[in-house]
Amino acid sequence: MTSMISHAQALQALRPGADAPMRADGLAVNDLLERFHPDYGAKARVSLRIGANAGAPCHPALAGLLESNALIDDLDLAGAEPLATDVLVIGGGGAGAAAAVTAAMRGARVIIATKLRIGDSNTVMAEGGIQAAVGADDSLQRHYEDTLRGGHNEGDRALIAQMVSDAPEVIRWLIDLGMAFDLAEDKALGSTLLRKKAGGTTASRILCHRDFTGLEMMRVLREAVELQRGIEQLNRCPAVELLSHDDGSCAGAILYDLERRSFVLVRARAVVLATGGSGRLHLQGFPTSNHYGATADGLVLAYRLGARMCDLDSFQYHPTGVAHPRHLAGGLISESARSAGAHLLNGLGERFVDELKPRDVVAAAILRECAEGRGIARDGQTGVFLDARALVAADPDILETRLVSLGHLAAKCGLDPRQEPFLVYPTLHYQNGGVMIDGDGATSVPGLLCAGEVSGGIHGRNRLMGNALLDIISFGRRAGTRAAESLGQRQAGRGGINHVHRWRRALAQAELPADVRAPLLYPSYGNFHLRRTAAA
Amino acid sequence: MSETVHLTIDGREIAADPTVSILQAYAQSGAELTANVGCMGQGVCGSCRCMVRKDGERQVSTLLACETRVEPGMQVSFIDYFLPAHVHHYDLKDLHDSWGMLDQIRAVFPEAEHCRHCSGCDRACPKGLPVQSGVAFSVAGDIAAAAAVFDQCVMCNLCTLACPENIRPNHLGLFVRRSVAALTLRPIDLMRRLREVASGEMSVNVTLPRVETATAAPRLAAPAQDR
Amino acid sequence: MNTLNQVLLNPAFQLGADLDGWRAAGGGQGLDAALADPGAIIATLEAADLRGMGGAGFPTHRKWAAAAAAPAPDGDKYVVCNGNEDEPGTFKDRHLLRWTPHQVIEGALIAAVAIRANRVVLYINPHQAEGRAQMRRAAQQWAGTEAVRRIERLIGKPLEIAVVATSGRYIGGEETAVISSLEGGFPFPRRKPPFPAESGCHGAPTLINNTETLANVPHILHHGAAWYRGLGVGDAAGTKLYSLSGDVLLPGLYELPMGTSLHDLIFVHGGGMLEGKAFKGVFTGGPSNTLLTARDLDVALDFDSVRLRRSRLGTGAMIVISEGTSIVRKVAEYIEFFANGSCGQCPSCKAGTFQMARLLDRVDSGRAGPGDIAALRNLCRILPGSGRCGLIDGAVTVVESSLHTFPAEYGVAEPAPAETA
Repeated sequence: MTSMISHAQALQALRPGADAPMRADGLAVNDLLERFHPDYGAKARVSLRIGANAGAPCHPALAGLLESNALIDDLDLAGAEPLATDVLVIGGGGAGAAAAVTAAMRGARVIIATKLRIGDSNTVMAEGGIQAAVGADDSLQRHYEDTLRGGHNEGDRALIAQMVSDAPEVIRWLIDLGMAFDLAEDKALGSTLLRKKAGGTTASRILCHRDFTGLEMMRVLREAVELQRGIEQLNRCPAVELLSHDDGSCAGAILYDLERRSFVLVRARAVVLATGGSGRLHLQGFPTSNHYGATADGLVLAYRLGARMCDLDSFQYHPTGVAHPRHLAGGLISESARSAGAHLLNGLGERFVDELKPRDVVAAAILRECAEGRGIARDGQTGVFLDARALVAADPDILETRLVSLGHLAAKCGLDPRQEPFLVYPTLHYQNGGVMIDGDGATSVPGLLCAGEVSGGIHGRNRLMGNALLDIISFGRRAGTRAAESLGQRQAGRGGINHVHRWRRALAQAELPADVRAPLLYPSYGNFHLRRTAAA
Repeated sequence: MSETVHLTIDGREIAADPTVSILQAYAQSGAELTANVGCMGQGVCGSCRCMVRKDGERQVSTLLACETRVEPGMQVSFIDYFLPAHVHHYDLKDLHDSWGMLDQIRAVFPEAEHCRHCSGCDRACPKGLPVQSGVAFSVAGDIAAAAAVFDQCVMCNLCTLACPENIRPNHLGLFVRRSVAALTLRPIDLMRRLREVASGEMSVNVTLPRVETATAAPRLAAPAQDR
Repeated sequence: MNTLNQVLLNPAFQLGADLDGWRAAGGGQGLDAALADPGAIIATLEAADLRGMGGAGFPTHRKWAAAAAAPAPDGDKYVVCNGNEDEPGTFKDRHLLRWTPHQVIEGALIAAVAIRANRVVLYINPHQAEGRAQMRRAAQQWAGTEAVRRIERLIGKPLEIAVVATSGRYIGGEETAVISSLEGGFPFPRRKPPFPAESGCHGAPTLINNTETLANVPHILHHGAAWYRGLGVGDAAGTKLYSLSGDVLLPGLYELPMGTSLHDLIFVHGGGMLEGKAFKGVFTGGPSNTLLTARDLDVALDFDSVRLRRSRLGTGAMIVISEGTSIVRKVAEYIEFFANGSCGQCPSCKAGTFQMARLLDRVDSGRAGPGDIAALRNLCRILPGSGRCGLIDGAVTVVESSLHTFPAEYGVAEPAPAETA
């Protein structure tokens, strides 16, 4: 057990009024990551044995799900309600909503199936903002290079270039849908957008609506879906398996309708998988900032149908998750706080990292402080301080204007950010890798597209703040457009689950267990068991 | 450790740590949780709507379960989400003549003028927003004030559920807010950049930075042999 | 002796707005008796044991006495005839308003004499257009009559008789909602106390009586308390208008001695069960009361006897359910009625009725999960008492009693065992 500095002692060590000193023992970035970031350690990866990525590395917990058995058998399809549509969108977050609206605007009949309800997603929880290089001091090239560098040069250059080039048009599209962005000046016309700095960016590029940008985006998108003719919503209908044609292409999906407690078989010309990430797997025991539904379902379904993936061993641990009080652990303190000037302090009252470095670097630095005995312990929780006292003192209105959510969170934590710093610890935040896509979201499986966190390749091995909201709209719209193009193409055949039979043979030949079943659909503490429920 | 709190949620007797939220207590109780749950504590998704009657009180409040701490003797009932039978259809494109804004509000949300001022929406709002005044501002055309009222709305739809005149106040608020953005938000820096991108004046050169000059990525540990 | 339609529905009185006809049939004599000895009116009602026929069964004389005793700060006192009747299965007042307006108005005038009220308000549901028209015509016929002049001399100021349309909403029949409505506002119920008899319309003492209650008054004053008491069965007094509906052969409005048995109402007067199907239960009153079942067929339909069976006579509405009709679906229908009728002030009323309706729909469509019944019972514990008026309480009573009495219809084997986690 590593020693820690008590909370009381750490409070004593805070220097009132003075700038905290910076520790001098900073490590080189690669050194810091290799030694302290959870992605780089020995427990971070295994080799996949079967499927399109056989031999490639993958996080062990995720590998267990990817190389698992299907939840359903052929027999379960008997009595399933059959539906048919042009485009099936699976997932009701920002990417799914953008895809659905775009496809429907292009005349496609769309079904959007969600596990909880439309809007229940990581999108709605995003606080910081969205990147778009609109400043006169900024350029698409800088956005591109920042993104590439932030991802340790592992991102797909063409995808990044396309996404950053889309960014200004994405903002315009969102405004046209009725999303509000903060302005630098208060005037109707001729004003410029308020731009914030993000960790790892060389220019102020984060556009925002206060510090609940994702909520603003999602409520607008949700309303757009609800009012868009041609979209049918199936809420509480998680996808339990994809449907395939004999040539291995995607034919739709099998949903489980939790209201009716029965299966629904949706045949579609194109499927857009927008199921989001996997934070609720709580990899390596980390708390998560993610939404309840983030259980890697899309990865499991796509992999079983043969989709190629990338970077399955790379996850983002957001540096500033709440560490205390315990019941809020894992909840996010937006990067907006650091962007606005809040500092990280160890138990000795020292700064130990440039707070606006990329997230993986800052997270690793916090984990280092805790590992080397400079962390702070309070009621069994550990972490470091996030200190916004000077920030609030300098701008007393900031908790009502730019950092509204931070103020709310402080109230929930029972502390006054003017007086006391937050205790923070990294929290599992984002799945960097995922299904490989082309510029239109197309995967290696014909008929299957992906958009948003379920896809990989854009953010390399580390995502910058504000690039997730950009990613979901940029690729969500492109996937929706591409999916709508399949209109009038060959009629979807019946579709079946022959790919599941092939998969079961592969499992058996690799001597993998047949009794591990996925997708999970809900976290373990959701106490949901499809087979028990369906049989009831 | 601290003492245990006993409460009832949807008829289940639950023992919980006093520091947890109603939603966490429910999740920890072993109950099947596939609805009325979302952001798990951030209070932004509006999924975990519930009615709460505190011990010894007559009043029943509508709250978000992820933001409300358990108390001894609390009785809780979740309120299901549902797709509304009636939505107010509109297309923002119809609004592009903003001189017609007042008429549009009346045409799309005719019920708003029937507000009977019962304050049910104000009482129902778990965020404490002055919803009823937001409705009144919208009807009067005080767009800025209406938009401000609904700025922090999480669209939990409790006011929609509470409104006896079927006004759907949160959707009215969102309509007003969306109209304001779509009609008036014209950032000049965005306009310039859009023009530069469209004309090809600005683009991305993917050959830069050259691969050899890019910094090397940190090294990963080898995959573990056993799982 | 024919016990059917002896008083209020007596064919001789079904005249519409015809004051001369009413007088010829014996009308007006009750008011004369009242004016002859105003001080005796309330005592006569007490001796007659007249009850509030709107559903509460509250002794009428107590309300009158309170209103009579209350000081009138601005000199005004109100008598309100509550003709808002809107609940499912109740269709008695609309008949009285349409066919016997003078019977009703004379009752209201006697009340004015008893409490010295100068304002008589006939508060009528606008959905009963014909009843409202008859009442308006009838009210005009009283203007300038000797009887009215005598009342004015007694109270020392002009007597105003007004016909006022209610909001037409269910909630508008609630006593305090009547006050809100008469003051020109939305019919929001208010917290009691103060009770309307002390401080009602614009702060003035206000006596609010159901239409059927007032219609009985002229006859009691005319024929005496002993006569009225003698009409009832056993200890019960007078007659009652029973609105019989549902799965019976001859649904309709029946005036029978108060205390007639449920069995006789259904099988003697109502022609028995439709298609001879087995009797399952009865929703009484609002329908916001505990269900009566086969065990209760012998119950005397008076306020006290029904209460002994833990239910309420309510308005006298009897909605009969046979085998083949789903209790759960009926309950869901009524809950939806209450949900739509909820005034909006109390979120627990709107949200509570919504969630109960959701759960009932799930049960009815066979999709109820294991926790849904527990959740429904939970709501029945949480909601009562949370509203300003009794609407939510009534809704809960129907759900709870149907769940208790017909567990099998909810897919529950046994009546509510102790909850287990």
